[in-house]
Amino acid sequence: MQTLEAIFPARDCFLLVAIILLPLFGAFVNGVFGKRLGKEAVTLMALAAIGASFLGSVAAFAMLHAKQTGEEAARLVWTGWEWLSLSQSGELNALGQGAALVPIKIDIAFSVDALSGTMALIVTGIGFLIHLYSVKYMADEPSYHRFFAYLNLFIFSMLVLILGDSLPVLFVGWEGVGLCSYLLIGFWFSDKANAAAGKKAFITNRIGDFGLLVAMALLIRYTGSLSWSGIAAHGQDLLRPITVWQVPGLEGKPGFLGAIGAPVQVTAATLVGLSLFLGCAGKSAQIPLYVWLPDAMAGPTPVSALIHAATMVTAGVYLVCRTAPIFVLSPAAMFTVACAGAATALLAATIALVQNDIKKVLAYSTVSQLGYMFVGVGVGAFTAGFYHVITHAFFKACLFLGAGSVIHAMHARIHDNEASQDVRNMGGLRAHLPITHATFLASCLAIAGFPLTSGYFSKDEILHNALTSSVRPPTDDGTAYGLTLFVWPAWGGKLLLTAGLLAAVMTAFYMFRLYFLTFHGEFRGWKIVAHWKEPEGAHDAHGHDAHGHDAHGHGTPLEGPTPHESPWEMYLPLVVLGVLALVGGVFMGPLEKWLEPVFSAARKSVEVSEHGGGIVQPLAVVAALGGIVAAGWVYYQQGGAPAKKLAEQMPGLHKLLYDKWRVDEFYEEFFIGTVDFIADVFVWIDKWVVDGIVARFTSWLVAVSGHLLRLMQTGRIQAYSAVMMVGMAWLGWFFTMPQAKAHVERDDASGHYTVIAAPGLGYAYRWDADADGKPDSSDFSEKKSVELSLGLGDSKQVLLEVKNAFGRVGHQTITLTRPKPEEPKHAAIEPSARKVAGREVAR
Amino acid sequence: MSMGQLLEHYVLLASVIFTIGAVGFLVRSNVLVQLMSIELMLNAVNLALVAYNRVHTDNMGGQMFAFFIIAVAAAEVAVGLAIVLSLHRLRATVLSDEADSLRH
Repeated sequence: MQTLEAIFPARDCFLLVAIILLPLFGAFVNGVFGKRLGKEAVTLMALAAIGASFLGSVAAFAMLHAKQTGEEAARLVWTGWEWLSLSQSGELNALGQGAALVPIKIDIAFSVDALSGTMALIVTGIGFLIHLYSVKYMADEPSYHRFFAYLNLFIFSMLVLILGDSLPVLFVGWEGVGLCSYLLIGFWFSDKANAAAGKKAFITNRIGDFGLLVAMALLIRYTGSLSWSGIAAHGQDLLRPITVWQVPGLEGKPGFLGAIGAPVQVTAATLVGLSLFLGCAGKSAQIPLYVWLPDAMAGPTPVSALIHAATMVTAGVYLVCRTAPIFVLSPAAMFTVACAGAATALLAATIALVQNDIKKVLAYSTVSQLGYMFVGVGVGAFTAGFYHVITHAFFKACLFLGAGSVIHAMHARIHDNEASQDVRNMGGLRAHLPITHATFLASCLAIAGFPLTSGYFSKDEILHNALTSSVRPPTDDGTAYGLTLFVWPAWGGKLLLTAGLLAAVMTAFYMFRLYFLTFHGEFRGWKIVAHWKEPEGAHDAHGHDAHGHDAHGHGTPLEGPTPHESPWEMYLPLVVLGVLALVGGVFMGPLEKWLEPVFSAARKSVEVSEHGGGIVQPLAVVAALGGIVAAGWVYYQQGGAPAKKLAEQMPGLHKLLYDKWRVDEFYEEFFIGTVDFIADVFVWIDKWVVDGIVARFTSWLVAVSGHLLRLMQTGRIQAYSAVMMVGMAWLGWFFTMPQAKAHVERDDASGHYTVIAAPGLGYAYRWDADADGKPDSSDFSEKKSVELSLGLGDSKQVLLEVKNAFGRVGHQTITLTRPKPEEPKHAAIEPSARKVAGREVAR
Repeated sequence: MSMGQLLEHYVLLASVIFTIGAVGFLVRSNVLVQLMSIELMLNAVNLALVAYNRVHTDNMGGQMFAFFIIAVAAAEVAVGLAIVLSLHRLRATVLSDEADSLRH
């Protein structure tokens, strides 16, 4: 330990950079050279990168553990360089630095504390297991190197997200994981549905990212900092009120209009909390942005296990834990988080009840469990919520990998992706896939909350806290800056507990429905024939060939080999994760103690009532066992008959659940429809205004003038010379005329003005500067300028007469005005009589 | 007859000749006639220049310009006739109306 600390001092811990950069290096090598390196080298590179990163995380964790002794939270920090330097007026933020510009520096810095250390351990550890699993699962994939490059890039981005020391650095990782998620969902992009699913995930996440960006802007505005420590230090400034809604002119009016126009004020903390939660809802698939996650199952199954179950989707929970000091300042935001979590948990669970695709069930189960985590962090039980992140990572990764193993076995004869994932084609696999079966059962027990499994402890902790915990207003009198703060309602705990228990029953039911349908009963995929051989040339690659011979209905029996267990690279991760899912409960106590310093400040705002919590534990056990027994009775004992009967009795409800409450259709109609409508309007404007008026009308105008001008180009030499003669005649006339023109040199301050006549060949001048209507001298002279002075606000007229060599005389009147000082307008030459009149004078 | 009256006669004559030349150039489409019209205009100018020179005897600029114009007119006629020949070879015409290949 001393050696480690000597190499990596806590203030400048290069170990963090090594942990982060190793997967990036792996991604670079595999992405750029992978095709030439061959599968063996790609495997070695990817596994070595993530394995080394895992060892680094273990070392960092050990150092933290040795350092964190008492109440103080230990941190290892690495600061790279200054990334951005913003400056803002001190008036704007609440720090009161006056009008001087306050620099806000954003560093590239990474730090690890108990929370992020644990998270990094989970990400790299489970990441390594899933990399190992993918070696065999993806063995026949032509783009093998691309897959591992993406996977390594994902681990890199996820580590940046976790270890970033400020919100902008986290945001880089946040976007990075979104990108990798998009790339991996659309990994088989030649299928249009997969590419569409990738896009859906990306765009839905962008909506959430918008919230995160708004939150960052607000934090800069109100706290002047974006690093974790800076935000926490200036947290109290977030209690200032913000007017989020006001219709000027309507407030104060009586009745309905006044109610609409009245200003609505919330604290900055609430607005920041809700914006952050919008980001979390996007990444962690919560209402209203959960729709992308079920579609994300279009990616390869290990990706579903790693990104869309164990790690990336928990980033939202991590962010709420990370920014706990902000969230606890706003009971309203916390209540929103908890309620959104509970609603998501319920909604997703109802959908999962009737799905037939093994991965879809797991996907909705993931959404539901993420809802649980948000209930946990929403009521202020950050440790409980985060603990569920860990246990969920164990059992959900195991479930997805188990599903992958089942799909792998099904692919022996059914190559259609949809059919090979359909539980109606499975059944009785317990005998053929004993290891997969055992680990799947262990994980199902854990997720259902069977007593003494890991899920039991974490779920029980969340439900217990949902009933007993609530968030206090951050000030003693419940007001901040004259604004009355939201008070957590008394029925909130009971509501959250009810939703949680209902979701728990449904979770147990649908997980065991899945388990019994997959592993028990008769095998329904094909007729098993011992020593069955593939007909010659019947299919080319293992996987994604044309659907030609797969187009078997459920009536026509298909012959095929015995489904086979997966190779050791695939079942080893299953066993490790299955064991962890069973015994993960032992980490509960140590984790609570370990994370206590991180959340100690935030926990001060959380109120825990001592009594009433005793009833939760029995209820949770009853919920879990009830769900399991019910599923066992319906799908094991009765072979699914009661479920079919129920579905026939209530076809409408069954259809509604099967169609996922038609939320996708609603979004399609409402949001996408609105956007389409706006787009149509702009298309119309583009077609008729931009193309019609701007482009077509202009070009028509040019064409018409071209036609008209062309008429003048006769090609006849006489026409041209006639025009030339007219021009020459006009020029001759012009030059025989005297051009009386003058300019004025002004000095408004002293009132001195000089009028200077324009020169010309043979010109002589005569002036009338005293405005008596008669020229100053009777003769024309060479005097080219006159000077005169004016009082303030005075105005005077000067007459200039010019005689040229032909004896013609032209004249011009110049009006001079001196402006008054209070109206510093420019007095211009006002040539009231610019007409040049010529008249013949005697020679 | 004073010098001034004499000058007026010369200038009047020059103006008449120049106008005949200009109108001839504009109304006739035969290139040869047009060339002759140009000559008329140039010589009208020459006449005016020389007449003015008679009045301002201290300055020989008028006569000098007249000689220049004669030389330039000779060169212009040489080039002009060559163009007329080429036009005739190309289009078998001496009418300027028909020399409109740039337009079409």
